This record gives sequence, C-alpha cells and structure tokens, in this order.
Amino acid sequence: MSAKVKESNPDQQTVLVCCGTGCTANGGRKVYEAFVEKIKDHPEWKVQPILKSTGCNGWCEKGPLVRIMPRDITYCSVAPKDVDEIIDKTLSEGLLIKRLLYRDPVTKEYLSSHHQTDFYRKQHKVALRNIGEIDPAQIEDYIAREGYQALALALDNMSGQEVIDTVKASGLRGRGGGGFPTGLKWQSCKNAPGQPKYIICNGDEGDPGAFMDRSIMEGDPHTVIEGMILGAYAVGASRGFIYVRDEYDLAVYSLGKAIEDARSHGYLGDNILGSGFSFDIEVVRGGGAFVCGEETALIASIEGRTGEPQDKYIFPSEKGLWGQPTVINNVETWANVPVIILHGADAFASIGTAGSKGTKVFSLVGKVVNTGLVEVPMGTTLREIIYEIGGGVLKKRKFKAVQTGGPSGGCIPEELLDLPIDFDSLTQAGSMMGSGGLIVMDDHTCMVEVARYYVNFLAGESCGKCTPCREGIRALLEILTRICNGQGQLEDVEMLEEISITMQEASLCALGRTAPNPVLSTLRYFRDEYLAHIEQHRCPAGVCRNLTTFYIDPEVCTGCGLCAKQCAVEAIQGDKKQPHVIDESRCIRCGECFRNCAFNAVKIG
Amino acid sequence: MKVKINGQEMEAREGETILELCLRQDIFIPHLCYHPAFGGQGACRMCLVELKEPGRKNNRLVASCTYPIHSYIEVITESERLQRLRRNIVMLLARRASQNPWMKEMAEQYAAPSMPPVETEPADCILCRLCIHACEKMGKSAIWSMFRGIEKRIATPYDEAADDCMGCAACAQICPTQAIKMEEDDKTRTIWNKSFELVACRRCGKNFATREQIAYMQESSGYEFDELCANCRKVTLAQNISHYNH
Repeated sequence: MSAKVKESNPDQQTVLVCCGTGCTANGGRKVYEAFVEKIKDHPEWKVQPILKSTGCNGWCEKGPLVRIMPRDITYCSVAPKDVDEIIDKTLSEGLLIKRLLYRDPVTKEYLSSHHQTDFYRKQHKVALRNIGEIDPAQIEDYIAREGYQALALALDNMSGQEVIDTVKASGLRGRGGGGFPTGLKWQSCKNAPGQPKYIICNGDEGDPGAFMDRSIMEGDPHTVIEGMILGAYAVGASRGFIYVRDEYDLAVYSLGKAIEDARSHGYLGDNILGSGFSFDIEVVRGGGAFVCGEETALIASIEGRTGEPQDKYIFPSEKGLWGQPTVINNVETWANVPVIILHGADAFASIGTAGSKGTKVFSLVGKVVNTGLVEVPMGTTLREIIYEIGGGVLKKRKFKAVQTGGPSGGCIPEELLDLPIDFDSLTQAGSMMGSGGLIVMDDHTCMVEVARYYVNFLAGESCGKCTPCREGIRALLEILTRICNGQGQLEDVEMLEEISITMQEASLCALGRTAPNPVLSTLRYFRDEYLAHIEQHRCPAGVCRNLTTFYIDPEVCTGCGLCAKQCAVEAIQGDKKQPHVIDESRCIRCGECFRNCAFNAVKIG
Repeated sequence: MKVKINGQEMEAREGETILELCLRQDIFIPHLCYHPAFGGQGACRMCLVELKEPGRKNNRLVASCTYPIHSYIEVITESERLQRLRRNIVMLLARRASQNPWMKEMAEQYAAPSMPPVETEPADCILCRLCIHACEKMGKSAIWSMFRGIEKRIATPYDEAADDCMGCAACAQICPTQAIKMEEDDKTRTIWNKSFELVACRRCGKNFATREQIAYMQESSGYEFDELCANCRKVTLAQNISHYNH
C-alpha cells in the first residue's frame, strides 16, 4: 500500500512560483505565465526544468517569490520582466541575480536561500510543511513528500482506537480557537452510539487579517483530506464535509480538485486502499457569515438552517450534524494529523510547551516589516515573532500593542512581549490564541478606536440571536463611538465593564462570551488612553478626529514639503526649506502629515 | 432521577430541561423566549441558572430552558450573580420597547437602569422569536428573523406580503410586547403587509378566522370545515353529544 515515489533526476531544475493569495495579488500568476511561455524554447537544455505554481510561502511581504530547486535559490519581488533574465542567467548558466536576492537589513549580506533569512530561521513547519514546496493541484507532489503514507500505515497496522490514542498522546489541541484536546473529542464521538457518523473540516476562517487556513486549503489540500480520512477511520465515520467560506474561491477549487484526485487514486470512496473502510468528502460553501465558524452554527448552515449557534450542553461529538455524532475540527488541526500518525505522538509532543504541544501558524500583519504567514513552536515569545521573524515595527516606529485572536481576542501591550505564547498564557493575559491572527500596532494607533473597530465588526457579524451579545454589542458600540467622538463620560467606563461582564457570563456562544475581550483588554492595559479621551478631550495617538489637532514644530521642521504634498485639502503652507504651518480652519485631521513626516515635526496639539 | 434545586431534593424526568422541572414544581425562573408549546431557544438568557459542578471552583451558568437533565445535578435559581445578570439583560432589552407597559414593569421589578431607547422594526420588538415559532407551529414559515447582529429583526421575506402568511395572527397573539401590528375592520384583517377576508361564525356571527386560514385547515386536515368559532364549535359538539344520552 505504500505510495510510489518517482525517481528524481539530480540535474533537473524545478522552478517554484508562489501563487498564494498575496503573491497572486502582486502579479505572481503573471510571473508563472511568463515562465510557461519562455521556458519552452531552450532546445540546448539536456533536461527541461519543471515549472510549478505553489501555494503561499508565507513571506507575502517579499512576493511574488520564485524559488529554484535543488539549489534552493529564492528570488523576491519578481516581476514578469525578470523572467527572461532568470532563465538566461540562473537556469541556463547557474548564475545568481543579485538584485532579486533578499538582502539582510543588518549584515547587508545577499542571501541566496530564503531559509537563511530571519523570517524563516525561527520557524518550524509542520502544518505548512508542504506549502510552497509542491503544486497543490498535483497529487503526485503530495505523495512524493510522505503524502498518504500515514493513511496507509493506519489502515495496515492500526486500529481506530490506536489512531485516537496516538492523537491523544500527541497532546494536539484544536487550532480553531477553542483549544479543546482533539483526541478527547474523537474518543467521545467514537463512543457515542449511532450511525452514520460525520467528519467536518471547519474552513470558515473569518477573523480580519487571518489567512492561515486559507493558505493550507489552497496550498496543500491533500493534508487536510488525509487528516480527515484518518479521523473518519478512527471514529468510524463514513461521510465528511469541508465547510469553506464562499469568498475563498481558490480554496474551493483546490479542494475540489484534490478530492477528485484522491478518489481516483483510491484514497477516498469505497474500500479505501483495499482495506474495506469507506469514506467520502464533499465541499460545502458557506455564505460568508463570521458566526458560522462557531461549530453549532456551522452545522446548522450545512443542514440548510439559519447559521445561529445553539447551547452546547450536548456536544456535536455526541449529537451534531443531523443529530448524529460528529467530529468537527479546524483546517490547521486536520493538517497536523497525518504528521502525528506517521511520525508518532512523541515527535509531535516534543515540540511546544507543557500544555500546548506542536506548532501554531500565525498570520502576522499590521505595522510589521515582514508581513506573512509564520509557523512557530508553541511557547515562542511574541517578541521573537514580531522582532526576529517579523523584523520589527514598520518604519522603526514604537511598538504599542499586538492584537491576537481576532475579534474574540485582545490587545497585548509591550510589557507582555516576552510571554511565551500558548493557549493558556494568552487567555490569562485577557486575550486568546483564536485561530492565530497577529496584528501589530504602532504608537499611531488609538486603542479606543481599535476596540471600537472590533465591536463594530461584531455588530454586523454576531448572529443576533441572544440578548447579551446582540444588545451588549450595540451598547458597547454606542459608548465607544461616543468616547471616540469626545462625548464620553467617566461613568461610561464603568458601564463598558458592566456590560462586558454580562456578555462574558450570559451569552449563548463563544462569539458573544469573547466579544468584549477587545474592550476589556484595552481597558486593562490602556486605561489612560480612555481617560485621556474622556477627561482631557485628547486622543493621544492622534486618530480620533474630534479630539485631535496637529501643528508643526518650527524647530524641527526642515521644510522638505512632503506634508504639504500629502495634504488632501491644501491646509499646509510654507516656503521651501522653511518651517511649514498648518491652517487649522482647513485641516480635516486625517493625520497624513503626522504619519508621513520623516522628522517627527508634526505634533499633536 | 433525583436532582437538587436550591438545596431541595426532587424528582426529575429523564431528558426534561431544568426550566420544565422548575415550572412543574412552581419554582419561578424568569423567561422570555421559552414557551411550553415550542420548548427552549436559549435566546433571551433570562432563565440562566447556576450549576454546581464537582471539582469546579465557580458554578457554571447554563440556560435552564435548554439544559437537559440526564443525571444528578445541583441547581441554584436565585443568587446575587444571577440577579445582576438578569437586571442587565432587562436593562438592555427594555430600551427596545421603552414605551411598552409590560417591559416597563419588568425594568422596575429588576431595578434596571434606563438606557436611551433603541428604535426597532417592528417597534417594541424584543426579539424573543416566539412569533416565529408560533408561525412554524401553525405549519407555516411566513416570518423569520432576518439579517444578523444588531440589524436582526423579524420580517417576512423581502418585507413583502408573504405567500405563506394566512393571516391567522398567531404571531400577534403570542407577542409579549404587542409589537406585531394588526388592523381589523368588519370584513378584513391586515397584518404583515397583507389583507385577508374575515369569516364570521355562522352561529354567533363574530369574525373568527380568515378565508385562507379555513382553506388551510381543510387542506391539511382533509375534513370539511364547519364555519364555527371555537366557542360555538364546543357548544354545537356538546349539543350533538347530548342526543346520545337519551
């Protein structure tokens, strides 16, 4: 039953063009097409290079990325016009093109492989192990990298219970946010009476700024499928569903192709690999409601009902889809399963912290130098992720906070940057792991406005079924808007806390119970900023327009004129190389001059 | 099976909810979205109770209308913690129906601070969703909760006259805040943007149903429907039965 691996020719070069979402947005697909056009007409080559479009390498900041194997050369920010040169110099003559290499900002050294960069060195890829290395549309690529070997191993040598025991021993916890031990969930489903049983993959990723699951579904769909088949075998399920949010077009396509290929190779369908075990998967497209990431709402949505959560006094593992025992896990959780089964629980459990094993994928975005997708062992500190992998705060500004866990998470201040992150530490800090969004914020960020932003997001994305969540969010939004507009009262802070506690305690589902986290965490760590808005009618970050005036410090201003050029309402006047002045009557307080001044001459009044 | 409610042992039926048990035992738990005809929804959260769990420091909060009893449990239905939550829930809900006497009374009873009113559509609706379930129970689904989040409201599809609506007004009758507007004259009833012909009872002459409602009852039961109101039907039936006594 072991999968066949093609013999590789050591002279054969492979060109991997990143066509992940970020690189595609930057023209990665056009680069790939240029290669397709131009790679053909080189009759002088003894061995034709192989060209592949891959999923997201994670280093979105430097995309489109082109990698050349087996020499492991990585070219950054490649444009279609660079393709001729790459073919002529690198593929034909083996020369490096310096200007396309990454240059270390500190040592100023040109690095030929991305593996040498700070961004990759600290990473440990488990869930993302294949992404960027394979063409997601080619099942052979997956098979060549140990793909479906875990499945063959389990079907040949393990009972369903042994698979569950391995997952239990690995310490794997749900990557979607809840952090529930995966093995226990499976055991509960296996033990529950009733057939058929179902397997669901939750691909309804919806946190603003998060794209971990999307990248896995797009870039390595077979690992999700193999994980699900293993789960189905373990609990005795016959049917599986992958619930993907409708906006993820490429993920839907990629999964659909992978399911077909897995079927034709005998990994899905009746009598898998001749074992007598049968299981099949279909893709269900969600309507794009954030709340459908909550498992009972997701189940309702698959059933064709309104996507509203229900009280979970009986877990879906006992009574889930159509009232049947159902295992529902997140994309990243499934992606870890084949590795655990193939390499054993101990190998997996050796990574991470006491309570949180393995790695976690984060989407690192916001005011950080290297935006992208990173996978690190649990227990890595926020400082390592933001400063070593992420390269620090953009434009060398001062770090203010990092928002983790999306709308259910909170804002973590600088004094907690050395916190080793895992499920438990983040919860204790008043935030949560969530699905793994990390948004870095600099000192130009108003924390009251950040809280307002997230509450406003949830005002549209709560399902609106239960009172504390729906009406609590409405009240929080009203109060936060008032404070941002300069009409806040001191009693408002107390009211924010009172309503937040009610929401935490009384809401029906986790969305409502965690919805006040952005408010409570900013109140906890940035209370001064709330008070500055209320008592001094001042927004210290210069964001809230009603509370901000800008002026130019004549001592500091060099008269470069950049601010005057940026000003949309021509409110800034001044002669060349002379201090400039802001005309307050015209100024709309957009803050463009403040954010763009290279000399910090624009000040908040 | 034995359970303990507020320190008192009592017998519960397998699978019934905490609220159902308490209602049977005359233990008051406030609730807005539960109705014996439809069961619990867990939506209003007024019926939260504390559950004592062995090994846990803090009591767990559960909605008594949806929590099924399958084993021995210890429940507390009144506490400061619950009072505070119920007060805040009433505070948040009362602003949706600020002029409604029933909600005003409840706000007073829970000493809920007043917040500026919120305009809702329909006005005074507290989104308990009993109307949806009444409609469903009648065999129709003419209304449902539309949209999400703070925009959520009860409506017919696209706010148009719904094909499914037969004007039975079960929704209006069950609504605790009289939020569903219904207009009637001698011959017609207008509800949810749709007008219906009213049918008078052939015995007492009072309007008792709409033409569509009678047609639906005939169609779904397969019986010819005698155009009698509920009261006159009882009287007629009693008279018929009395013949057999002689």
